Amino acid sequence: MTNRISRREFGRLSVAGMSLAALGGLTRPAAAETTLRYVWWGNPDRDKRTNAAIDLYNKKNPDVSVDRESYAWADYWPKLATQAAGGNLPDVIQMDYRYIFEWARRGQLADLTPMLGNQLKLDNFDKNQLNSGMIDGKLYGLSMGGNSVALVYNKTKYDELKIALPDPLSWTFDDFIKIGKDVQPHLPDGTHFTANKGDNESWLEMFVRQRGKALYTEDGQLGFALEDIVAFWTVMTDMQKDGLTPPPDVQAQDTTGALEKIMLVLGKAITDFTNSNQLVAIQKLMQDQLDLTSLPNQEGNKPGQYMKPSMFISQSATSAEAEQSAKLLNFMVTDLDAADVLQIERGVSADSEVLKHIEPGLTDVQRRMTGYLTTLAKHVGPLPPPPPKGAGEIQQLLYPAYQAVAFGRASVEDGAKDFMQRATEILKRA
Amino acid sequence: MATVADATTIAAPGRSQSAASGRAGSRLRRGMRRNAAGYLFLLPWLVGFFGLTLIPTIASLYLSFTDYDLLTAPRWNSGENYAYAFFQDGRFWSALGVTFHYVVWSVPLKLIVALALAMALDRGVRGISVYRAIFYLPSLLGSSVAVAVLWRQIFGDAGVVNQLLVLVGLNGPSWITHPDYALWTLIALAVWQFGSPMIIFLAGLRQIPQDLHEAAMMDGAGPVRRFLKITLPLLAPVIFFNLVLQTIDAFKAFTPAFIVSGGNGSPIDSTLFYSLYLYIEAFANFRMGYAAALAWILLVIISAFTALAFLTSRYWVYYEDEGR
Repeated sequence: MTNRISRREFGRLSVAGMSLAALGGLTRPAAAETTLRYVWWGNPDRDKRTNAAIDLYNKKNPDVSVDRESYAWADYWPKLATQAAGGNLPDVIQMDYRYIFEWARRGQLADLTPMLGNQLKLDNFDKNQLNSGMIDGKLYGLSMGGNSVALVYNKTKYDELKIALPDPLSWTFDDFIKIGKDVQPHLPDGTHFTANKGDNESWLEMFVRQRGKALYTEDGQLGFALEDIVAFWTVMTDMQKDGLTPPPDVQAQDTTGALEKIMLVLGKAITDFTNSNQLVAIQKLMQDQLDLTSLPNQEGNKPGQYMKPSMFISQSATSAEAEQSAKLLNFMVTDLDAADVLQIERGVSADSEVLKHIEPGLTDVQRRMTGYLTTLAKHVGPLPPPPPKGAGEIQQLLYPAYQAVAFGRASVEDGAKDFMQRATEILKRA
Repeated sequence: MATVADATTIAAPGRSQSAASGRAGSRLRRGMRRNAAGYLFLLPWLVGFFGLTLIPTIASLYLSFTDYDLLTAPRWNSGENYAYAFFQDGRFWSALGVTFHYVVWSVPLKLIVALALAMALDRGVRGISVYRAIFYLPSLLGSSVAVAVLWRQIFGDAGVVNQLLVLVGLNGPSWITHPDYALWTLIALAVWQFGSPMIIFLAGLRQIPQDLHEAAMMDGAGPVRRFLKITLPLLAPVIFFNLVLQTIDAFKAFTPAFIVSGGNGSPIDSTLFYSLYLYIEAFANFRMGYAAALAWILLVIISAFTALAFLTSRYWVYYEDEGR
């Protein structure tokens, strides 16, 4: 019925109206000559920090005012694409490694190379991190921090169970599963050793990289074979059969990326999988102490993990205030006062001066995260080629594809075959 | 006030042609002038209709024949989108299957519940308006996001349903994330929103002349017989109306699946409603052209079902004033 839709739209409108009102409520000095728009995705913690940093910028540059918009990850990309189609992209845009190539190559992002040394003072910037924002020899985004994937575990429970983790850089899936089998009998009903992330693109990527493959090749094809994903899903479903992971209907609650729904936070598992920069946010949801360790390795101990730019800050090609917004970009990644409020919520800063400046003020949890990355740095591979168009769709395809296997609707082999076929089809179509 | 002469002078271009067309033009203009205030008052609606409904609808028809990802201009691809949907897209068929399953179960169940409650409320109970309001309440809330979120809590792993089951010694699954039950929780949610058909049934029941029932009772007809021979036939137009509206509504269902499945039709696409798939194609995969094609296919499907309902209606819907 039409009134249902209008009610839903009404809801959206009123939410939009309220956030507009909230934006309007932000102090905007009368002297502002330039108005920039800055958009990011995030969480309440990130919003608070980013707003504080922008306020600081505003204080230092009273002639510039900044309108802000912030969305959840899933809402962010439709919003941004719609604005791009309408020709009114914000000046400053948060970007992700998955999308930056596509957006840059379609001419939506500004080439920042001419700003280097002028508005952008990046002498202390880590070269690898800087290069991660280079596309076809031009700079399109500044890394806002490095991170990597990690296992996050309930340290309180691990200590109670007297679990001794082997060397994180060389431990194997056999070690991992042996620990699980040892501790599972001592866990209460309904709690399992680890979450089952056979549906997770990042873990699949680490798994195939450990086997010398990649998720995608340079020319945008699938970089792994049927046998690789069969091996991955066999490990995961075997753990499920042995009761080391939650049953599939419980695990299926965690398909949206919402941190409050992950098995660790729900108390269904004492080990889970995450991005290192999310440790702080997950710890906020739990009483028990958490810590990070690297993913178990496979034969030959090839490094699967890599340091990834957690996100970029970019500038739209249509920005009318290119120089002013480049200054804001520079402020966000290099200013020491900004770093005081931003800290390492977006990952560990690529600017060595910034890092040196904020290190003494880090909390215990934040130190656990930087400590993890420092250790991991000895066992990482190169940054993979950019994911091709359609990669996001394949990431989403992993959920139903793996669930079919986990719920026993298809054998591992049949499910994997089906996945490979559909993924190939998506790449062909993209 | 303008005179007739004024009006003809204004209609100057008409004069150069034949006098007859000049008069017609002036009449038209006069009509426009007389109705100007009316159109002025209609303006907000007109702007909305053309700007937000008609033009976008036509644009969507055009886009359905293009590749359009929002970042680059639409590219004409003839009927490729339609061909892909029918001949290559497995997910299109599975989404259609899920939607049909939902329509086929939720609509009749909802109408049965609505009719049963309407009949229960039709007995002149004291304080009936209060009951009516209470029974209508779920429909007011039902399509909202909040209720869908609530549904997640009720049928979730540690939800109310499972807590009740534990009391009788059963361990329920996580209903909303189990492929065997997820769709049924959505059907239950739909049935629970029986309010608006119930109100319409209630109004329909009031129209049935009481003397028919009394006469039947005199002849010794029991309640079942009276229901089958009097209530149902006389209520047929109302049932038909509700059936058509609810079917269209069910085909278009989006919010419950979007919220309950977390926006991806999980688990194993068992709650991937057609409209949800359309949304994912448009706003997650940025295939606006393909999504527009999906929307037009849905329009055709809904139209076909509505037409079918109207065509068959002459065999089972009886209108008193038709005198057939």
